[in-house]
Amino acid sequence: MQNFRTGFVFDESLNASFLAELFDGDTLYAETVFEDFLRDLPVYWDRVEAAYDGKNLPVLGTSVHTCKTLFGYVGFTDLQELCQQFENKCSVNTVEELRLDYIRLIQRKERAQHIIEKEYGRLREFNEANG
Amino acid sequence: MKLSCIIVEDIQIAADFLRKFCEKSELVEVKGHFLNVMDALDFLDREKVDLLFLDVEMPGATGFDLLDRLTYSPRIILTTSKTEYAFNAFQYHVDDYLKKPFTYKRFQEAIEKLQQKVAATPAAPTPPQPAVTAPDTDFLFIKAEDKLIKLKKDDILFLESMRDYVKFVTQGKNYITYSTLKNMEEKLVGPNFLKVHRSYIVNITKIDDIRGNTIYLLGNQIPIGKGHKEEVAARLNIL
Repeated sequence: MQNFRTGFVFDESLNASFLAELFDGDTLYAETVFEDFLRDLPVYWDRVEAAYDGKNLPVLGTSVHTCKTLFGYVGFTDLQELCQQFENKCSVNTVEELRLDYIRLIQRKERAQHIIEKEYGRLREFNEANG
Repeated sequence: MKLSCIIVEDIQIAADFLRKFCEKSELVEVKGHFLNVMDALDFLDREKVDLLFLDVEMPGATGFDLLDRLTYSPRIILTTSKTEYAFNAFQYHVDDYLKKPFTYKRFQEAIEKLQQKVAATPAAPTPPQPAVTAPDTDFLFIKAEDKLIKLKKDDILFLESMRDYVKFVTQGKNYITYSTLKNMEEKLVGPNFLKVHRSYIVNITKIDDIRGNTIYLLGNQIPIGKGHKEEVAARLNIL
């Protein structure tokens, strides 16, 4: 874990040094971004699911690409890597071949969403306490 | 000097960051944020800006599609989470390339570098003007096989679109270059070249015959697109 400049400590699964630089100690803005992430991710993920179910690989790749960008803004560097790999596979594999990777991606996305929900709650508390 | 800009970005969080960075820097004034290329083009038809922060992958059309359709040349900073676009960026004379998510420090570096460029070329952004046309020659150069290859226009049989590439088919050899058919269409102005399908431009002097909706050209078969039939008929003097 790495201390945020203001004293806020992010979950160890996030890239804390990057987040510190990205938010530059602005935990209020971090709270907003985490809130936006939780608002936007389900919308983007619906597109991923629809593309997978419809076996539309180009759209699947593009939709995962969007989620990848979103994960970056809340410090999930490793998940970005996983998305990138999946995105690359979308252009060379079939949906059937992607099944296991897709399941793994869903699991990681759900874990990430849970962590961000928790972090968002902690950021709110932190900001209220330091208001 | 404060640069006016727009943000073309389909991810709201990314656009919000960018807007925040612009406000913080006080070197850039945001005139608008657009979630897709068409809305941005509508705006750019009415108003000119100094700088575009441009995402590449967006629904419907890419940032490069927008650049293809622009009628003037603002400064461009690409904002994308893929590094694969570096070559396109070079071709489109992009000023900088910010890989998302990027920090304020990286943003500020890009803006300061751009300010220096603008200061060195005070005429930017270039005012609207007719596109610069290459001299009308009987040859052209294409980038293929790691070099610029000179092709006589008369040697070209046809061009085929291959997504981000264009295949030049000549009698002896084929060449593949990184470009779009639309770009090539503009470069091949003249009476001999005709777009007959969204994926094909043919050298009409090389056509052997036409059967139904297919052009036969030295052993190659080229389809005539529905939307191109009338123009083909008119240009080929089909009676």
